[in-house]
Amino acid sequence: MKTIALVAALGLAGGVVSACSGGAPKGTIALSEPNSPFIAFDVWIKAGSQNDPVGKEGLALLTASLLSDGATQQDSYQSIVEKLYPMAAGYGASVDKEMTVFRGVVHKDNLDGYYTLFHNALLSPAFSEDDFNRVKAQLLNYDERARRFNRDEELSRELLYWMAYQGTPYAHPAEGYVESVRSITLQDVKDFYAKHYLRNNVVVGVGGGYPDGFVERVRADLDGLPTGTVETVAAPEPAMPRGVKVLIVEKQTDASAISMGFPIPLVRGDPDFTEMALVNSWFGEHRSSFSHLYQVIRERRGMNYGDYSYIEAFPRSYTTQERPVNYARRSNLFEIWIRPISGTGPDDLHDRTLFATRAAWRELAKLTDEGLPPDEVERARLYLHNFSVTYGSTVSRRLAYKVDDAFYGLGEPGYLASIRPGLEKLTPESVKGAIDRNLQPDNMWVVFITSNAEALKAKLLSGEATPIRYAAQQPPELLAEDEEIASFPIPVKAEDITIMPIAEVFEKGT
Amino acid sequence: MRPLQGLVLLGALAGIVAAAPGHATAQEPAGIFPFEYRRLDLDNGLRAYLIRAGAPGQIAYLSVVRTGARDEVEPGRTGYAHFFEHMMFRGTKKYPNYDGVTEKLGAFRNANTSNDRTAYYLVAGTEYLEQVMDLESDRFMNLDYSEEGFRTEAGAILGEYQQGAYSSYSILDRKVRETAFLKHTYRHSTIGLEADVRAMPEGYEYSRSFFHRFYRPENVVLVIAGDMDLDHTEALVHQYYDGWEPGYQAPAIQAEPEQTAKRTATVEYSGRTLPIVTYNWKAPAWSGTDKNAVAIEVLGRVAFGPNSDVYRKLVIQERRLQGLGAGFGLDRDPSVVSLNAMVSDPADVDAVESELEAAVALARDSLVDAKLLANTKSAMKYGFLMRLETAQNVAFALIQPIVNTGGIEAVNDYYRTLDAITAEDIRDAARTVLDDRGLTKVTLVQAERGS
Repeated sequence: MKTIALVAALGLAGGVVSACSGGAPKGTIALSEPNSPFIAFDVWIKAGSQNDPVGKEGLALLTASLLSDGATQQDSYQSIVEKLYPMAAGYGASVDKEMTVFRGVVHKDNLDGYYTLFHNALLSPAFSEDDFNRVKAQLLNYDERARRFNRDEELSRELLYWMAYQGTPYAHPAEGYVESVRSITLQDVKDFYAKHYLRNNVVVGVGGGYPDGFVERVRADLDGLPTGTVETVAAPEPAMPRGVKVLIVEKQTDASAISMGFPIPLVRGDPDFTEMALVNSWFGEHRSSFSHLYQVIRERRGMNYGDYSYIEAFPRSYTTQERPVNYARRSNLFEIWIRPISGTGPDDLHDRTLFATRAAWRELAKLTDEGLPPDEVERARLYLHNFSVTYGSTVSRRLAYKVDDAFYGLGEPGYLASIRPGLEKLTPESVKGAIDRNLQPDNMWVVFITSNAEALKAKLLSGEATPIRYAAQQPPELLAEDEEIASFPIPVKAEDITIMPIAEVFEKGT
Repeated sequence: MRPLQGLVLLGALAGIVAAAPGHATAQEPAGIFPFEYRRLDLDNGLRAYLIRAGAPGQIAYLSVVRTGARDEVEPGRTGYAHFFEHMMFRGTKKYPNYDGVTEKLGAFRNANTSNDRTAYYLVAGTEYLEQVMDLESDRFMNLDYSEEGFRTEAGAILGEYQQGAYSSYSILDRKVRETAFLKHTYRHSTIGLEADVRAMPEGYEYSRSFFHRFYRPENVVLVIAGDMDLDHTEALVHQYYDGWEPGYQAPAIQAEPEQTAKRTATVEYSGRTLPIVTYNWKAPAWSGTDKNAVAIEVLGRVAFGPNSDVYRKLVIQERRLQGLGAGFGLDRDPSVVSLNAMVSDPADVDAVESELEAAVALARDSLVDAKLLANTKSAMKYGFLMRLETAQNVAFALIQPIVNTGGIEAVNDYYRTLDAITAEDIRDAARTVLDDRGLTKVTLVQAERGS
């Protein structure tokens, strides 16, 4: 019976979409799409890894994990898994610097049973010792092993943020350090929950085909949390590096991971944001072969799998083509991600590593110097005009964008609906102004993960050219450009290069 | 050739209507698959499905080539199905700059390759449907790339190889494949062997032959899902694809000889890892109608999934495993189903193995609880239906039946077969598949001097 009802409902999916957050109770975001057979939840706790106490880095994540992956006072964890199973539904928490968000989607046939479990997870966690030991052991395994030994390209990106935000609450990864996670106790988790999971610190997002009165019910339920004093954390003010600062992580590998970047004074909703979104899309659109960096390094030279840039955080970007949601931050980096560069012959790994780094750097220098010609602005504008439609592909994503709007203080119509009007308004001049205010090539944090770190350091300091060879015949224009790239200056001093063995990476806080 | 006018909206068309080549067939929701669709069978062998689904104003355009790493039969040529996927973005005489055209459309597009298929997709506004079809049909028929472009792209493949090459799971996967398969091409992974990947710049001529043998209409199924006029779209399919010359040459894939004794192997990992134990049993090909094949997929969930007794005991209650995963999905050819366990304490590996083997024996000897079976069927159905929110996801959800059978009708077959599966069927499936003689057990451990 259930299946028949579901089939009928799905057949109707995708009709009228009427988003409204007006009229919803305070601290609530309602995205009504009455024809959707799904109901999406996006409950935002205004606390994240920036609220981790010193020495207890990882606590916000462990707290959220215990709630999403542990027992409640009503049900054992096993019983929760068992009840969710026939619905093919679940809920999970994501924790970033500023936000903890509990998300889930369920078919409307199963709303009541599902919501009871979701609600209990947030409001009446059991804080079971066994569950705590399980989720802590999983996090510790990630910190001790998987993070450092599985995906160097993701590790180099996390290290870039760690370098750039030293001395601020943004420095440590949400997963914490090996030693800090080891020290976290169940009491720490209970204390974190009591301190941050407050009715006046929670925003409730509900979207899709929910019944009348449901949003009000969810809000009233969440109001069952106690009120309290909300901890405020000052927005980080990361310092611009003075010149070039390099971290080289020593690891046994045949390929190098490379990340580089610097802070930018830009968040969603700022006057320059649309212009910079366009510039970044042109320069390094995520996972897109149109991106300029991709064209220069991969398409023409075949050096690696892809080369991208970012103006907003995009954790675990190797896993998806879709933009992340619920990673809103008050501070951002401009980030260049060069995917692993492999050696192709004896002893050419470091030459190729530095060649790719120089190629990206030189393109950034050209961009800041010359800006974007009007026809390129038009090209990028048309692309984003069409492409941005895909950002809110599901009700769950559209709702999450609304929650992020609340973070950034963006009122109606919200970010997604304002992209096209923003693109219409910008001009080549406003684009140039935004480049001038946000980008520069002289000050840079740089991370390499590679083998034989001392040799790479020596090569960097020598300033010697790092040419590459090709398997294919290349046109003379490209070879001429290569000569410039190979000797593009990276002005770095010996005292600004740090070498770290892989076993020390994220082992403990400083 | 003549399209059927309009759709049959109601009626007794339960399930599949077999279509003769050259006919369009209207289908209405008569099984689990909830959308109206139309099937076209062109004279040249191309099959296309037009499906109305998803949000207004958007279409997802999916071309499934039923060629993957499985088809790489020649020595030294592993990884070419995937390499060729990259070359498909390198343009034609008509559209030398594929990227430039799709950029203007703002299209979300990419492709991916696995054992059994290569899938190309593009999501764009409905207003661009004809442009998309022109572009896509053109590259499938008239791909044209230079040797220089080919050599350059080989470098990108090496970079892609390196991204995951050092993960413990990649290393384990390689060992499982080379131990379990002696003849069949499932012996190598989709990305290919490192030596073959490094030799790719020299393979231009071979890559051309790959295109001519496999990129043919009889070997491709097109899915267009989204908001569109079906008659208009059907006319476009004929306009753009009727001229595609058939000529598919099936590769001579060696059948895997029957395994008659248990195989074991251990592989050392130079980074840091907890031990991972994997059990891999030889299993039959995927089928939507064979009760035993469907029962095997259910078996993986009931015997080893998060609601199984062994999962509860070892992962949740005793926490002796970091995780337990059951990969019981079947493939186009007979393959393996797998159980993977990451062991929390290296000293506990032997004891954990005894527990897992006891659970395997239990699956062979006892009947699954009725409630767990009912819940599993529900989870599988809802799991399928919950994926169908967007046109792109509708298209993606159909890749597996297309790859395995050449059509989407197998979706309804599969869930009909699933409905009828009993506890006895699952026990019988366990007896046939969880047999020590077909077992390959591989363990990954950290090397003594891990870095």
